[in-house]
Amino acid sequence: MSGIELKNVTKRYKENKFEITALENVSVQVKAGEFVAIVGPSGSGKSTFLSIAGALLKPTEGSIMINNQNITDFDEKQLSSVRLNQIGFILQTANLIPYLTVLDQLLIVKKMQGTVTKEDKAFALELLKDLGLENKEKKYPNECSGGERQRVAIARSFMNDPDIILADEPTSSLDTDRGHEVVQQMAEQVKTRNKAAIMVTHDERMLSYCDRVYRIVDGKLSEEVRTQEV
Amino acid sequence: MGLALKELLYSKGRFIMIGLIIVLISWLVFILSGLGTGLSTLSTGVLSEAEYSGIVLEEGSEFSLSKSSVNRSLTEKVSEQEGVTDTTPMSIFRNSVRKEGAEDAEDKITDIVLIGLEPDSFMEPNIIKGEAWSNSDENQVIADESLENDGYKIGDTVVLDNTDKELTIVGFTENKTLYHQSALYLPMENFQNLRPSSPDDADVEETVSGIVVQGTDVNLETFLEDEENVEYGTKEETIEGIPGYVAENATIMLMLWFLMIISAFILGVFFYVLTNQKTNQFGVLKAIGGSNGFIIRSVISQVFILSLVSILVGIGLTYLTVLALPESMPFYLESNMVIIYSLVLLAISVLSSLFSVAKITKIDPLTALGRAE
Ligand SMILES: Nc1ncnc2c1ncn2[C@@H]1O[C@H](COP(=O)(O)OP(=O)(O)OP(=O)(O)O)[C@@H](O)[C@H]1O
Ligand SMILES: [Mg+2]
Repeated sequence: MSGIELKNVTKRYKENKFEITALENVSVQVKAGEFVAIVGPSGSGKSTFLSIAGALLKPTEGSIMINNQNITDFDEKQLSSVRLNQIGFILQTANLIPYLTVLDQLLIVKKMQGTVTKEDKAFALELLKDLGLENKEKKYPNECSGGERQRVAIARSFMNDPDIILADEPTSSLDTDRGHEVVQQMAEQVKTRNKAAIMVTHDERMLSYCDRVYRIVDGKLSEEVRTQEV
Repeated sequence: MGLALKELLYSKGRFIMIGLIIVLISWLVFILSGLGTGLSTLSTGVLSEAEYSGIVLEEGSEFSLSKSSVNRSLTEKVSEQEGVTDTTPMSIFRNSVRKEGAEDAEDKITDIVLIGLEPDSFMEPNIIKGEAWSNSDENQVIADESLENDGYKIGDTVVLDNTDKELTIVGFTENKTLYHQSALYLPMENFQNLRPSSPDDADVEETVSGIVVQGTDVNLETFLEDEENVEYGTKEETIEGIPGYVAENATIMLMLWFLMIISAFILGVFFYVLTNQKTNQFGVLKAIGGSNGFIIRSVISQVFILSLVSILVGIGLTYLTVLALPESMPFYLESNMVIIYSLVLLAISVLSSLFSVAKITKIDPLTALGRAE
């Protein structure tokens, strides 16, 4: 099975003498082709969850399986390679590299993997086209609108053809229309390219595009019954 | 590397500023080293510009030609020693000259060093203007071009102070100065006649300052054991034996190396600040899977390209400056020195960027999620 699975994950932050439990015994499984949303109030542990799923942060307890591979005990170098080859991150806005054109934003991923081939370039152009960014490939981030930047970030997360897509509040800096557009495009990409995707959001209107919704409160995760029928 | 270059081109203004600092530093280093070498050539040129292995000198002369006198008959014996391929006697004598017909002391007097050599010996200077000595009764001399800057011309007759003997300039050579004075070369035979001598000094014809030796792995041990009152100084020792040279040189070298060390710190701080400003960017690269190695390579190649271009501009500026320098100012920059200092400067800026490397490895990819800050 390709996809991501978190088993009994607990994360505690130590601050002075206090311990904050940001995640408590969380278990989730997301398979290829599924688009899952995580919602919850501020400080509930959403970002912590995403960081652990994205191999950026190590859990205090529990394990993480990515494509059936247990990455819990990987060192920093191995984690970096997991991020490079198996995970596509859609970061918040302003997380494009300022001095690269839209096309180069995608190609840098390939460059980090080694070399950039003609096929890679064709693939990048295809992704940009899918996301409605044709004719924008020579623009720099400061010449793009917020929505365009967010779509570039989505395209970039698909560039390494990862099995898992993680998005941290991709719509936070967009107006409602643009937000819908972006999430809809993301959902489409997840379906057509058969990825396992997790999106953190506090925008409840975006949930209709998702297969399942999890709510997180005080570090505890529970599935919303409302979208069960999908 | 593409990433490095793309950023250089995109953020031109910021990089031009750092580049400008490297340009100025390298410019200063090259000018300083050129002036330094120029100064030391003024004091050593006759020796440092010649190719020889060492000089046989009088014992106790502290390797200084001006304090030494030996018998020229030793030449033959020296040539038979191990490793010696060629020898030639050489005499020096400090004096001053003035132009013919200016005895009223109205015209200025120029201090010079007279150098006596066997014609066609390996110490004979290269001619850049005019010609070498020809057989003739008059005292023909080859002069250093610094005399030309003082207003002397080919064909001019100069008068040796005190002796009133006349010399005719037939050619000019370059960079041949000693003790900060211009050299005048003439054949040994004529030299011996010019030297003021007391009549009871029967040996004067046979006395020279030293015997210059050419060869590889010269070994004069047995010779020195046999002979009394002589010693052997290598080329380096005889140059260091020139009065004032060591102190002069040390001053300039100290200035140069201080400049280099200080620039290493300045550049280090600049690169560090630059890296600090890009923490977030590097966090993003790390979050999407960029390894430390990838980011560090990109940063270092950026510093390398920037420094290389800036140093080349610095070299260009230096040669432009040389064109503007007055003739009388000693400036002497050899291309191998330019290459050495360029490499040192390049190494310094790359090394100083290593401060930032430690910083880069510590950047947490979590910054990309916008929470760490
Ligand atoms: N590095 C840290 N050190 C200590 N405590 C932390 C750290 N990061 C997060 N926490 C704590 O863990 C809890 C969960 O934080 P997290 O950032 O996951 O919340 P969140 O759901 O993403 O909130 P928001 O919607 O405001 O972004 C919070 O109480 C927070 O204070
Ligand atoms: Mg958060």
